[in-house]
Amino acid sequence: MTSALEIKGLAKTFGENVAVDHVDLTVPQGSFYGLVGQNGAGKTTTLSMAVGLLRPDAGTARIFGADVWSDPARAKQLVGVLPDGLALPERLTGREVLTYLGLLRGLSKDVVAERAEELLSVLELDSAEKTLVIEYSTGMRKKIGLATALLHAPRLLVLDEPFEAVDPVSAATIKMILRGFVAGGGSIVLSSHVMALVEQLCDHVGVIDKGRVAAAGPLDEVRGSATLEDRFVDLVGAGSTAARGLSWL
Amino acid sequence: MAVAVTMVRMKVAILRHSAKGQRGGTMAMGGTLGLVLAAGTIYLAFLGGDWPAAAYAVWMLGWIIGPVFSGGGDETLRPEFFSLIGLPARRMAAGLLVSAFVGVAPVISLVALAGLVVAATTPVNALVAVPAMVLQLAVFVLLSKVAVALLGIALRSRAGAVAAGVINGAVLAFLGQAWVFAVAFGQGGQIPEFVRYLPSGWGLLAVRGEYPALAAMAVLIVLLLAAWAALLSRRAGASRPSARGRRPMRAATGRGAVVAKELRTWSRDLVRNHQLTFALAYGVFFAGAPLVLGWTGMLPWAAPIFIIMAAAMTANVYGTDGTVLWLALMTPGSSDVRGRQLAWLVTVGPVAVLVAVAFTLVTGGPWALVLAAVAALLGGAAGLVPLISVYGLVPGTDPQRRTGNPLRTSEDDGALTGLAYLTLALVALTGAPAVAVAALSGWWGVLVGLVTGVLCYWGFGLLAQRRLAAQGPELLHLMRTGRRPDGRAAAGASYKLPDMPKVQRAIVITGVSFGAIPLIPQGVLAAVFISDGRLRQSWFLATYMPPGLRWPVAIGFMVLGLAMYGVSLWLVQRAKKKT
Repeated sequence: MTSALEIKGLAKTFGENVAVDHVDLTVPQGSFYGLVGQNGAGKTTTLSMAVGLLRPDAGTARIFGADVWSDPARAKQLVGVLPDGLALPERLTGREVLTYLGLLRGLSKDVVAERAEELLSVLELDSAEKTLVIEYSTGMRKKIGLATALLHAPRLLVLDEPFEAVDPVSAATIKMILRGFVAGGGSIVLSSHVMALVEQLCDHVGVIDKGRVAAAGPLDEVRGSATLEDRFVDLVGAGSTAARGLSWL
Repeated sequence: MAVAVTMVRMKVAILRHSAKGQRGGTMAMGGTLGLVLAAGTIYLAFLGGDWPAAAYAVWMLGWIIGPVFSGGGDETLRPEFFSLIGLPARRMAAGLLVSAFVGVAPVISLVALAGLVVAATTPVNALVAVPAMVLQLAVFVLLSKVAVALLGIALRSRAGAVAAGVINGAVLAFLGQAWVFAVAFGQGGQIPEFVRYLPSGWGLLAVRGEYPALAAMAVLIVLLLAAWAALLSRRAGASRPSARGRRPMRAATGRGAVVAKELRTWSRDLVRNHQLTFALAYGVFFAGAPLVLGWTGMLPWAAPIFIIMAAAMTANVYGTDGTVLWLALMTPGSSDVRGRQLAWLVTVGPVAVLVAVAFTLVTGGPWALVLAAVAALLGGAAGLVPLISVYGLVPGTDPQRRTGNPLRTSEDDGALTGLAYLTLALVALTGAPAVAVAALSGWWGVLVGLVTGVLCYWGFGLLAQRRLAAQGPELLHLMRTGRRPDGRAAAGASYKLPDMPKVQRAIVITGVSFGAIPLIPQGVLAAVFISDGRLRQSWFLATYMPPGLRWPVAIGFMVLGLAMYGVSLWLVQRAKKKT
């Protein structure tokens, strides 16, 4: 069976800084894949290259066998993306964003209207009908972002930090939707640095450290008998700074 | 003073960092241009009379209006940085004022104000010139800060945005026309007397023996500082400007969706509201100004000027929208460029046509010329705006991350200003063929205008589309990080200089950017005028020289221009060989 996402030898260097150093990752179909790593480990850069938002220096990325760079139309049709911290059409309301994007994706007007209605109500954004996206809170931005990723019924979701700065109630809603998506046969890759969350949601995990894959595979294989957090600290070798207190407090 | 000293240090540190990258180039370029203007001002001070007063009035207006063009003025240190420290507003304003003297623009203005020493009437007054220079600069800087703060508050409501656009457009238009008049009629001594008594002239009054002007400047500075402090406390935590949206989206296709999105952004984004009213007001007032003299000939040109100005204000359309480009990248085949073009045309076109028809009706012509220009320019601008935007992209600040200053759409204000001027020139060029034909053979010009307009719209749009498809990820990366990607990815993103020391780089940029000025207008054109016997031509220096010096000056300029290109080329070649 072709993998939902197959990354081979992706590499990216910014100036002197090697951000991603020949990363290989395979996301099987139907899996819920967690990508963990410290800030600056290269998670966002890897995911951006995997979905075609950043041109890699080397390597390939295939979505259900379709190469992201040589066959972008097919690859991008199959994937829904939630990038971290990028802008949306800020002066539109949530419903308008979905309508706009659905039409861009080539969906018919009626299908767009129907799906937008359902997404807004499930994500509890329908109460903010007149609010422009620029006035949204961080949590609302994540939710509308997720809605744009789901709109065209993709088979793979690539989510960069989907739970960052999201309140617990919204987080519960998002988790429910993501679990439903996987149960329905979809595949998800999400990045996070919250280990507990990844343990709770994911069945596969990849640990990225300094631009390289430190470990990858089914969750139970990677963490062994320890918790993911302990295993992670082992792998990335965090220094002793955390144990030191502040001198003036 | 401790606050001020700390702020100055902070600003110096930030400027030192930013001078290293791409911005260093724009800073050097702007600085060179500013020094040329400053030298011109000092020259005018030697002339005496009201010339220096007029020149300083222009400097003052530049400080006030400049930020409208250059993205909100100097924002190296933002009031928001200090809002948690709990400084009293006036101390914070004082600290920010002191730090505002650090930078390229204040230094250049100070150089220009050295003209006060030149203009001093006695040796004692030459000493007076020193405090006068400092006070005068403080007046400029503070006027600029207060104007930006007021505009920021105006841009929180639609009425305010429109009003500010009209006022700014009018002021800038009259300023432009004042120069045209002065040059066209060559009325040396006939600068209106009130110019002398504007705050910009108080330093001059002081060095000419009217010492109370110094005290007046001090009082004005205290008042402005108080006003600025009050405005600053209103700015902190300001809500972002935007209007409510309610119309349901009726588009049914991808391109229709882009148009609908753009039209909503045009009407809801108060900064865009301001840009458009500014452009319209500029066109109307610029073309209407000669009515004061009873001359209606310029009136029909309001619409063409409006179109060109609107294009210049909106030329960074992709940069202003920021990283939202990712959506276009994820939907290959969506017609983002075409949709934006259509929306631009729908926004600017009807107003332009209406103004053109109404004003030409008033003057009774020349119909063919005006309609030819409007048709050609509308198509040209709608084609060039997205094209310039994807080729000369100036990375903007994402709308959701902007600060209390709504004019601040980018960190690289120098590049933004350059892009606006480039657009002015290029869009004006697209109108040239149609206007030329219309001038020679009347209505054929309108046909030519329609044809070139359609061709520009179609062709430039196609180029922009291709560029976006080919370099989309690089453009997104540029907007995300503010830096151009290294190596091969930069291919095609504007010509890249090889690695070379900072000073050499500045010399190359200056030489290539300004070499044309001495070579073409001051050299070749001036020589043509001299050989033709046409003397005292606007700003062609050689035509003002005594007979024996005319040819040497023109040839000297040509040599200077060639030398600027030659040295730049030589430096680039040498650096290339090294790497």
